[in-house]
Amino acid sequence: MLVHSPRARLAVQAAFFALFLPVFALPFLVIVAASLATGWSGAFPSGATLDHYRAVTHGDALDALTTSVLTAVAASAAALVTGTWAALAARGTRARRVVDLLFVLPVAVPSVVVGLSLLVAFSKPPFLLNGTPAIVVLAHTILVTAFAYQSVAAALDRLDPACEQAAASLGAGPLRVLVQVKLPLLLPSLSAAAGLCFALSMGELSATMMLYPPDWLPLPVKVFASTDRGALFPGAALAVVLMVTTLLALFAVSRIRTKAAYR
Amino acid sequence: MSTGIRFDGVSVAYGGNTVLESFGLTVEPGEFMALLGPSGSGKTTALRAVAGFVRPTAGRVFIGDRDVTDLPPHRRGIGMVVQQYALFPHMKVDANVAFGLKARKAPRSEIAARVAEALEMTGMSAYAGRYPRELSGGQQQRVAVARALAVRPGVLLLDEPLSALDAQLRSGMLAELARLHRELPDVSMLYVTHDQIEALTLADRIAVMDGGRLQDCGTPQDLYRRPGTAFTASFVGGANLLPVTVADGGGVHLGGTRLDVAAGGAAAGAPATLCVRPHLVGLGEGPNALRGTVAEVQWRGATHRLCVDVAGHRVTADLRELRETPPLGTEVTVHFAAHDAVLLPAGAGGGEGRG
Amino acid sequence: MASTEAVSGGPPAALPRVRVPAWTLVLPPVAALGLVFLHPLALVLWQSVSPEGGGHGFSAYADVFAQAAFRDALLNTVLIAAGSTAGSLVLGFALALVIAFVPFPGGKAVGRFIDVFLSFPSFLITLALLFVYGSAGMANGMWSGVTGAATGPFDFLHTPWGVLLAEITYFTPFVMRPLLGAFSQLETAQLDVAASLGAKAPRIVRQVILPEALPALAAGGSLVLVMCLNEFGIVLFTGAKGVTTLPVLVYGKAILDGDYTGACVVAVVNIALSLALYGLYRMLTTRMDGVRRARA
Repeated sequence: MLVHSPRARLAVQAAFFALFLPVFALPFLVIVAASLATGWSGAFPSGATLDHYRAVTHGDALDALTTSVLTAVAASAAALVTGTWAALAARGTRARRVVDLLFVLPVAVPSVVVGLSLLVAFSKPPFLLNGTPAIVVLAHTILVTAFAYQSVAAALDRLDPACEQAAASLGAGPLRVLVQVKLPLLLPSLSAAAGLCFALSMGELSATMMLYPPDWLPLPVKVFASTDRGALFPGAALAVVLMVTTLLALFAVSRIRTKAAYR
Repeated sequence: MSTGIRFDGVSVAYGGNTVLESFGLTVEPGEFMALLGPSGSGKTTALRAVAGFVRPTAGRVFIGDRDVTDLPPHRRGIGMVVQQYALFPHMKVDANVAFGLKARKAPRSEIAARVAEALEMTGMSAYAGRYPRELSGGQQQRVAVARALAVRPGVLLLDEPLSALDAQLRSGMLAELARLHRELPDVSMLYVTHDQIEALTLADRIAVMDGGRLQDCGTPQDLYRRPGTAFTASFVGGANLLPVTVADGGGVHLGGTRLDVAAGGAAAGAPATLCVRPHLVGLGEGPNALRGTVAEVQWRGATHRLCVDVAGHRVTADLRELRETPPLGTEVTVHFAAHDAVLLPAGAGGGEGRG
Repeated sequence: MASTEAVSGGPPAALPRVRVPAWTLVLPPVAALGLVFLHPLALVLWQSVSPEGGGHGFSAYADVFAQAAFRDALLNTVLIAAGSTAGSLVLGFALALVIAFVPFPGGKAVGRFIDVFLSFPSFLITLALLFVYGSAGMANGMWSGVTGAATGPFDFLHTPWGVLLAEITYFTPFVMRPLLGAFSQLETAQLDVAASLGAKAPRIVRQVILPEALPALAAGGSLVLVMCLNEFGIVLFTGAKGVTTLPVLVYGKAILDGDYTGACVVAVVNIALSLALYGLYRMLTTRMDGVRRARA
C-alpha cells in the first residue's frame, strides 16, 4: 500500500476515476447512447429510436455482420492451426529462434502494407485472389497468426514436460501424446488464443480497406462507409453490434477455458 | 522371465558439461537397486538414460538383452514414477491407469480388469472415478504407481517418488513400496533418491553416486558396515572420519594415540582414514580410548550428540540420552570397539564426517 | 520376456531407422507463411524499385521523396507516434500505479475492462470522439447551451490533436498491461519497508517503483510506438484532409490513385521505420523475463 492516510487514498481514487471513466468508459457509453438516438442536442442524445438496430436485422448490415463473423471464424481457425503447428514443431529445437522471429513479424509490419503486399502478389494468375473473399480471409489470417503463435508458444513454455514424458514412458507414440495429452493440456490457452484472434479479426479495418471486394464487405468497413457519408447514428448501432458480437465470442471462449482448467 | 538393466560405460553431457561419466552398473532381474547420491551426482540422469529422455554421448543401455540406447522412450517397455506424480489432470484415475494399456494396444477386453488389478494393488480402487486434483499427494502418487504397473513393465523406474510427500505419508509409502517389491518379484526396480533411509529400507543393493560417477555399490549392510570410500561412509549413515597412519605390527596412530584396529594388509607408515559410526562411540573408559574436550552438546530427544575435540579432530558420539551432560570444555574420554571401526585407504575422500 | 509382450507391435530393437530431424516439422507452417506473407513483402520491395516506365532503379523513390505530401506524412507519422507514445506512457503509468498500489473495490473489474478494451478495434475511439467533440457533439452542445453561441469552441478533431487524443486513449491500456504485470511481481514488503524508513509516497514511486517498472515501460512504450506508426483506422475515421500519415498515404496511393509503385515506396519506408523500432522492442522484451507481452 502506497498511500496510508485514508483521506489521501480517497483523493487518489477520486482522481483515478475522474481520469479513467471519461477517457476509457465514456467512449463506449457515448456510442451506445448514440446508437439509440437520431440526433444530439445539447449534452445528451435525443430522439430515442430502435430503427438503427432494426436495420441491422436485414439487408446490407446483416450481410456485413455475417461476412465479418465468417471471416473471423475462418481466419481464427486457420491462424490457430498454423500457429499451433509452428509453436509445437519449433519447441525445443534449434529452429525456435528463427520461427519466433518469423511468426511475430506480421505484428511489426503495418496492416495496410500487408494488404498492399497481397494486392501486389495475388492480382495475377496463377494466384488470382484479388476480388475474392479469400484474399480478405487470407489477410486476416496473416495478421492474427502472430498472436495465435505467441499465445501457444508461451503456453508451451509453461507446460511441464513431466506429463508428456510420463505418457511416452507408458508407450504412447508422439501422435498419441500430442492428441491425448498435449492438446488437452493446452486447451485453455488455445481457447484464449481463439478468442483473441476472433476479436482482432472482427475489428480489422486497415488491410480490409485495401482488399475487400464489393460482395464481401465486413462490418468495420460498413461502419466506416456509414460514418463517412455522415450517417453517424446508424454507424454507432453497427459499432455496438460489432462490440457485442466480439464480447459474446470472448465470453463463450472464457466459458470453455474455465471448464477446461477446472476439469 | 524378467528383465534387468545394464549400463555399459554410459556418459551424458549437456553442452560440454559432463553430468554422467563412464557409468557402468547392472541391475539384476527382479532386483531393487537404489541410486543414492547428493543433488547433481548424476543419479537422475542415469535413470533418464534408461527411460530414454537423455541420449548418452557414449556407452550403451540395455534392458534385458535388448540394446535400447537408440530407441525412443515409448518403445522401451518401462514403467516410470516421478516426484511430481505427472498424472494427466484432464483424465480420471481409471483413465490415467488405462492410458498405458491403450497406448500399448492391449486387448480391449483386458483393459478394465488390469486397471482394476493395478488400482487394487495400490489400494486406490475406491478412487477410480475421481480426477487427480481431487486426491491428496499420497493418493496421487499411488495412482502414478498403479499407472506404471498396469502395463506390467519388466522395469520400473522411480525418480524420487517420495520427495514431495510429508514425513508421515512418506513412511507409509515406504512400506507400500517394499510390499510391492515383494509382490512383484519379476520386476526390476531402479530407485533414485538422495535419502539414505529410503535407500537402506528398500533396496537390495545401493549404488552410491557422486560427481557423475559411481562411487560404491553393494548391499545396504555392506555399505553401512564396510563402506569402500570415505564418501560412502559419510553419505550412508554418517561417520567419524579420522586421518591415521598405519602402525608397525598392526593398529594405527591417531596423532600420538595408538589404536587397536585391524589394519588388513596396509603397509606400516601408510596414511589411512579411520571410519567409526557415531552411535558406536561410547562415553567413558574402554578399548581404544580417546581423550578430548567437549566442544558441543546437542539434545536430540532419545539421544545426545556429543562433539569432542581429540587432538584437533572432531569426534562425534551419539549416546543414549544422558542424565547429566558434561559441560562444554570439560575433558572426557570416548571409546569404540575394534570391530566397529573400518580402515579406508587414504585419499578416498576425507574431511570430517557428517551426521 | 514380459516386457516385449507388453510392447507388442514395436519393431525389433536394433533395427536401424531412418529418422527425420524434429525441426523439419516446422517447414509446412513456415512455407505457408513464406508464400502468403514474406513473398508478397518481397514483391512490394521489388515493385518499389521497378518504375512504371520499365527497367529497375530508385527513380520512384526520388519521385516520392520529392513530394511535399510524402514529407508531411512522414513528419506527421513520427510526431503523432512520438506524442501518443509519450502521452500513453505518462497516463498508463499513473493509472497502473493506482490500480496496483492504492487498491480499491472494483480494481479487478477495471483490470478485466482493460483486457476487453484491448480486443476492440481502434476506430471505435474516433467514432466516440466524434460524438463527444464533434461539431454537433456533446461538448459543443453543452457550450452552446450555456453561452447561447451558435457553434462551440471544440474543433480539433480533424487536426493532428484529434488523432493524438484518440491514439493516447486507445494505446494507454497497452502500456498498462505489462506495467500491471511488473507491479504484481514487486514485493509489497519492499514498499512497507521503504515507508517504515520514513519515505513519502513520491519518493517511493521515484526510487523503488520506477526502477522496477522501467523495463516494462520501455517494452510497452516501444510496442505502442510501433503500433502508432502503423495506425490506420483512427486517422481514417477522423476524415481529416490535413492529417496524412504513412499508412494513409499507402492506402491513398494504391486504392484512390492506383499508383502501386508509389504506394510500394511509401510502404517500404513505413516497414523500415516499424521494423527498426520493433527490433528494439524485441530486444527489450527478451531482456525482461517473466513479464508477458501486452497482447499475448
